[in-house]
Parts: sequence; structure tokens; C-alpha cells
Amino acid sequence: MKTKALKIAATVLVLTGALGGLMYTSLAEGTEYYKHVDEVMTDPSAWHGKKLQLHGFVVDKSILRKPETLEYRFQIHNNGHVINASYTGVVPDTFKGGSEVVLKGQLGPNGFQVNHDGVMAKCPSKYEAKGPAATRGI
Amino acid sequence: MPALGTFVLLAAFVVAAFAIAACVAGARTRSTRLVESGIGAFYTVTALMTLASGVLVHAFVTDNYAIKYVQRYSDSAQPLAYKIASYWGGLDGSIMFWVFLLAAFGAIAVQVNRVRHRELIPYVVAVIAATEMFFIYLMVVHKNPFSTFLTAAPVDGAGLNPLLQNFYMAIHPPSLYIGFVAMTIPFAFGIAALITGHLDDAWLRAVRRWTMIGWLFLSFGLTLGMLWAYEELGWGGYWGWDPVENAGLLPWFTATAFLHSVMVQERRGMLRVWNVTLVITTFFLTIFGTFMTRSGVVQSVHAFGEDRELAWLFTIFMVVILTFSFGLVIYRLPLLKSRNELDSWASREAAFLANNWILLFSAFFVLFATMFPTLSEAVKGERLTVGPPFFNKWMLPIGLTLLTLTGVGPLLAWRRSTMTNIVQQFTWPVVMGVLTAAALYAFGVRVWSSGLCFALCAFSATTITQEFLRGAGVRRAATGTDLFTGLVGLFGRSRRRYAGYIVHLGIVVMFLGFAGEGFKQEEQLPMKVGQQTTVGPFTVRHDSLRVTADAQKQMVTGHVSVFEDGKLVGEMRPARWYYEKRPDEPTTEVAIRRAPAEDLYIVLTTDFDPATQTVTYAITVNPLVNWIWLGFGILAIGSIISLLPESMFAVAMAKLPEAAVTTMLLLTLMPTAAFAQHIENPQAIRIAPRTQLEKELQSEIICMCGTCGRKRIGECTCGLAAQMRAEVAQMVSQGRSREQIYEFYMAKYGSQEPLASPIDKGFNRLAWLVPYLVGASGALMLGIVAVRWSRREEQPAEISQAAPGDDDPSMQQRLDDELRDLD
Repeated sequence: MKTKALKIAATVLVLTGALGGLMYTSLAEGTEYYKHVDEVMTDPSAWHGKKLQLHGFVVDKSILRKPETLEYRFQIHNNGHVINASYTGVVPDTFKGGSEVVLKGQLGPNGFQVNHDGVMAKCPSKYEAKGPAATRGI
Repeated sequence: MPALGTFVLLAAFVVAAFAIAACVAGARTRSTRLVESGIGAFYTVTALMTLASGVLVHAFVTDNYAIKYVQRYSDSAQPLAYKIASYWGGLDGSIMFWVFLLAAFGAIAVQVNRVRHRELIPYVVAVIAATEMFFIYLMVVHKNPFSTFLTAAPVDGAGLNPLLQNFYMAIHPPSLYIGFVAMTIPFAFGIAALITGHLDDAWLRAVRRWTMIGWLFLSFGLTLGMLWAYEELGWGGYWGWDPVENAGLLPWFTATAFLHSVMVQERRGMLRVWNVTLVITTFFLTIFGTFMTRSGVVQSVHAFGEDRELAWLFTIFMVVILTFSFGLVIYRLPLLKSRNELDSWASREAAFLANNWILLFSAFFVLFATMFPTLSEAVKGERLTVGPPFFNKWMLPIGLTLLTLTGVGPLLAWRRSTMTNIVQQFTWPVVMGVLTAAALYAFGVRVWSSGLCFALCAFSATTITQEFLRGAGVRRAATGTDLFTGLVGLFGRSRRRYAGYIVHLGIVVMFLGFAGEGFKQEEQLPMKVGQQTTVGPFTVRHDSLRVTADAQKQMVTGHVSVFEDGKLVGEMRPARWYYEKRPDEPTTEVAIRRAPAEDLYIVLTTDFDPATQTVTYAITVNPLVNWIWLGFGILAIGSIISLLPESMFAVAMAKLPEAAVTTMLLLTLMPTAAFAQHIENPQAIRIAPRTQLEKELQSEIICMCGTCGRKRIGECTCGLAAQMRAEVAQMVSQGRSREQIYEFYMAKYGSQEPLASPIDKGFNRLAWLVPYLVGASGALMLGIVAVRWSRREEQPAEISQAAPGDDDPSMQQRLDDELRDLD
């Protein structure tokens, strides 16, 4: 009986150890930090190369698009700090000057490089709609 | 009316409290009359909840905007069906719908089992009623769907979110909720068994069936969720590891684990604590999932808003559940002692155990990763998130291991498999698996995960086929009938086992579909009129962009021609609809060209310019996706067979005229065909005209697809014509006259502009039928189950527990074979 309990304990230990270890390492690769623009901009170099989800507001009239491509350049700000961002791809409906967005990507010396499909409009209305309806953007 | 609703809720709360008190007191004092009275009260709660639902639905239908909830989720322009579906469109109503379903299910469960499980029923009633009370309490104190405006009521409602205005809204939430609430019943039985100490295996049978029913609905709900995401949301996939999706998946994992490990308990009397734990965990996870999506602790695209108070109430309830249930488990530990021990790792028990560990680990992993942002914020004060790649990295190997076990498990014998036995069982499946892998490699498939998945699918499919053929062969030899009759007879002899294999087959087919994901091709690019691009086997040409409008919305539609091998194979109409009331939440009307091999999936993105006619399309080729839906169809059939009474298969058991068997087969296959058609290519369903008017209209209205040379819709074979036919059928059945239908089409297409149609319309209306069919068949199923349960069950065959002599291998092998064949 004692050896059996020992065996079970050993198996459980080895399995949890292995899985826990694997989880920890893959977690380190898989995690993204969720930060606001001002939190990052106090010490930008510390965040270089880290995966980030950056929360901020699109600066009014800052959105530029290279003609006939899907390449965008724009700025986002929060609490007085501003970051340049670049993105290639399709943007969501609510992506326009002043809108609240979360960007997935990495910070580099030339600003924030957004991943493919990494622009998420922070939608205030889920099932529970809040806020007044804005004007149409077609 | 709203006052009546609130009053009914309060009454339901009080009556439920009485039901608990009466049942518990009755059970303690052995007073049948008290218990009867408690059960009566319990049924009254069901009646009251039905009444409350009726009041709310009535308010929706009559546009009673004095009620806040109605005002928020409905408006006068909404079609009737969406007005009704708005019942569960928001938080308050969804809680009430939950209680209503729980009350209905609970009443059925109690009615069906009250005689057979007489000693458990009082506590079953008490546990279900307690759960109902919690949710009614939530409504009464915090989220009353009947609360009214104190000031003057608005004249119109805000309208249901456009994203929810499609037919999946009518069936996806109900089916998921049914899956959730059905898990309360096994839990109630488990707790009742623990309280009374009647922990013999009789209660397990009731628990197993109800878990099976819940599991079926949960699977259905999850699959519908995938379909919804795929067809309506337009991001090209079907599963994004969103917290709300995960909330439905968690109890699915543990319920699946339970359905497997319960067999070990029935057969060998092992894993008793484990099984009770799984039942409790499954229930807990349904509550936890509700908590996760309702309280805003996790951020999700389709969670409800944040709500601290609700979060606290839920937390208290969950703590109570855990303490109470596991307290009881510990109290009853002496009664839950295992009767046997594991004999060998090469046995079916061990395979089940491995399956359980993996499923439980999956549940734990998904829970952990879903809660990770919240956890990290609580622990480190810093919000860290993990995305779908992290989930996929882990769930891919886990899924493949489970797929392997799907094949391996059934081949192992109970107690211990001998070497000869293993060789004999595994030769063909392994050969098929290896052959598939080699063939794939030879044909240049280099996506290892998908390749491995295909090989494992071949392996598992072969084991299932082998089991069926062997079983049928044995039956043929024994009864002297043909192979088909033998095959059907298998279900008569050991229905659960072979129904289980069908479920496995469904899972294998679904995995085929998942593996297709590895070959997905995507492209996004801005296109001018006439410009072409090639994705996979398809060349797509942008023809034009049209903007049209109707009373509810403005529609932007892209007109696209699709070529395959240089030949025009179809036209597609991806669109975006901007509703007047919610201009910021346009809906994506995805255009999908379905085929068994791959779907062509085109989305009109936000980037379009009606002036220059330039559009960016997101074009995706999704291989094998349809196999997922087909796989679910197979899985559902398997589950339903396992719930059917055995007598249904009696025809094939005896030596009978073949006609009976053929009928049986047809009956079994019919739902398959229906499912396959609906899932495979809904646009291609061809309906025979039901009335003279409909028939005439089919030759009077012209197909607007633009490529068929203006054929009549009765003749044209394209998808659009099928939709128009369905539309016409719908309108005729609504009693509209010919002139009205003409007007509808004139208004719809404009006089000179025949190509302004959004593509999705007719299909959605037709598909409205599906929920009612599903509902009806569900009711039928429940009825059959009820009838069966009310009969006395025969005792399961006693299994010889005598250990075979270890020194006689041939004897042992024979015994193994026979044991393996039992159920």
C-alpha cells in the first residue's frame, strides 16, 4: 500500500512538474502586457521588443494612409503622452480620429509597430449599449 | 403587467423556499405528505416561471416600452421573431430564461424519477429549488427584467443589437442554456445521493442520462456558436478562445470526462469519489461560466457589462456550492470506497483514466488561460493577457492525444489486454494510420499538425469500422441474417457501446474539419473595378460596389465574380449593413461559397469608397470547414441513439423480414440527410412548391444573379435562385398575395437596378424552421426517455468478478474478449 501511494505521488509530482514547467515557459512567450500609452512612454526603451497591448486614443486627424495600399500611420495618445504607430491591414469601423483603441504589437525605436489584425476598437457597447449613437462613417 | 411580472417572481421565490423546506422536513420525518406537498410546490415554481416568461414575451410582442428591459432590447420595427428572441438578448432576461429552463427541466426530471428514486427525490427537489432561488433572488434584488421607467416611458425601443438579429440568436443561446441547466440535474441527484447515503449505482444511471442530455445540448450550443461566429462575425474563423466561448467549453470537458469514467464505475466499481467530484465540478463550472460572462470579471467581446454587485453574489453562491458539496463528499468518503483496483495499464480502465486526466487538464488549462488576465492583475497588479496562439499551442497536442485515445480506448480489454489481443486489435488501424501519413507525405503535405491529425483520424475511423464489422459479423454468424441487420442489431444488443462509437466517429469527422485550419489561406487587398486576385484555387474579380437602402438600414454590397480554372463558377455578394439605429455597429454580411473540400469566404471590410468603387476584400479559403458541422450531425445522432429505448432496435434483433430492417435503416439515415443538406449547402436546398401560387410565382420571378441569362427562379440552379424560391415560399405561406410579392421584389431591387440584393435573406428565414424542428425533436426525445424511465428497468447482467488463472493465457484471452464485448 505504501509503495503504491508513493508511486502515485511520484507520478503526480512528475506530471505536474513537467506540465507546470512547460506552461511557465510557453506562458512567458505567450503573454502580452496590457498598458496605457502614458505608462509605456515614461520609459519607452524598457518596453522595446516586448509584446504589448497598448490602450489609448487616436489623435485627431493623425491618420495617414499610403494611397492604394493598406499601410497606415497614425498617433495615439493618453494623458498627454503620444506614440507614433504604423499598421498594415484593414481597420475596424470605429477606427477614426478620437476613438479609443487597443493595439497589439511591439514598440520599436520608430514607434509602435502594430501586428496584422492588431487594431481593436474599444467598443463601448457590448450587449449593454451605452453612450449616444455617433454619426455614420461611410 | 410589469407589476404582475415582479409579483410572480416574488411568488416563485417564496414557493421555491417552501418546496425546499417541505421536502427536507418531509425526508427527515419520513412524511410522504410533506414531500408530496414540496414536489407540488416545485411544480408550482415551474408554472410561475412559465407565467413570468409569458408576461415578458407579451410585453415584447406588444411593445410595452414602459418596461426598461423591453425598451432596451426591442423596437417596433423588429420582426416578431426577434422581439421574442430579445427575451434572452440581455442580462436580466437571460437570467430569467435560465430559471425558466431550469424549472422546466427540473420538473421533467422529478416527474420521471419520482417513483424509481423515491428516497432521493426530496433532496433533488431541494437542490434544484435552491439553485432556482439563487437566480430568482438575483432578479428580484438586482436585475429585475420587469423594472419600469419612473419617468415617462420612451415611445420606441433602442432595438436589439444588429449582430444578434439573425436566426442563431433564436437557437444558440437556448441550446447552450439548456446544456447548462441540464447539468444541474445530475448535480442534484449527486447531492441527494450523498445526503441520503444511497450511493449504490442506481443513482448513477439517472445521472448518466441527464448528463448525456446536457452534453448533447452543450455540444449543439457550442457548434452553433462556431457557426454563428463563422457566418455572421466575418473574421474568417469559428473559434477564437473568447472567454464566453470558453465558459461553454469548460463544463463540456468535465461532462465528457464523466460520461467516460462513469462506465468504469458501473463496470468495475472504481473511481467513485472521482465521479461524484466530476458531477459537482461540471455543475460548478456552469455556474462559474455564467458568473464569468455576467459579471464582467473577464473582458470579452460578447460579455455583458461589468457588475461588481453581481460578481459578489455569484462568488458567495459558488463558495457555498463548493463548501457544501465537497463537505458532503468528505463526510461520505467511507461509502465511496473503490471496490477494485487497477489491474494493468494496458486496460480500458487505464485508457479512461488517461482520457479523464487529459480532459480535466484541458478544463483546467482553459480556465487558467481565460482567467489569466484577471489573475495577473490581482497578483501582480499588472494586466497580462494571453491570446489565441497560446491556447492553440496547448490545445493542439491535447486534442491530438484525445483523438488517439478515441481510437485506442475501445480496442483495449477491461482489466488487462494481452499482447496477442493488442496485436490483433491494432494491426489494421495502425496500418491505415501509417498509410495515410505516408500518402499525405508523398502528396507533399507538410503541415505536420494537420498531417498527424489526418493520420490519427484514419486510425480512429478504422478502429470504429473494425468494431462495427466484427460485431456485425458475430451477429450474422449467430442469427444468420445479413450484414445490415446484424449492424442494426448491434444497437439492440449493446446500444450504448455502439452509439458511443458513432459519437466518436462524429468527433473524428470534426477533427478532419479542425485539421483543415492548417491549410487556411488569407488575403486582404484593396481592389479597383475589374482587378483580380488569386487565393488558393479561386480567382476573384471585383466587379462593382453598390449602395442601397431599405427602411431599417443602408446596405453596401460588393459584387464579385469567382473563377476556378479560368471558368466563371459563381458570383458572390459580400456586404456591410448599417442600421439606422446603430450606425456604429454595422453588420458584416459574409459571402460564403460552400463545398466539401473548401469554403471560399469573402468579407467586405470597412475600407471601401463608393465614389471610386475601390474596395478592400478579406478573402479566405477555409478547407474542410463543413466537416465540422457534418461531424456534429453524426455526434448528435450517436447521442440520440444512446438515449433511445432499446426496444426500438428489437426489430433487428430477431430473425425478421428484411423490410422492417430497411425501414429502420431509412429512419436512422433520414436525420443524417436532413442535417447534411442543411449544413453542407443551405443555399442549394430545393423545395417543391407547396401551393399553386408558389408554383406560378417560381416561373414568374426572374433570378437576379446576373449570370444565368435571366432564368426563372424555378429553373435557375444558382444559390440566389434557391434563396429567392425560399423567399417566395415564405411569403406565400404568410398569406401574401401575388401583387404584394411583386411589390416586395420591385421595392427590393428598384426598377432599373436588378442587382441590389444582399445575399443572406431567404436562407435566414428558411432556417427559422430549424429551431422549431430541433425543439420538437428534443421534446419527442424527452418523451421517449420519460416513457422508458417510467418502466421498470431490467437488471444489468452480472459480470463475473472471478479472476482468471494467470498461468493460462488462452483462457485469459478468451475471457478478455468476452469482457470486452460486454457493452
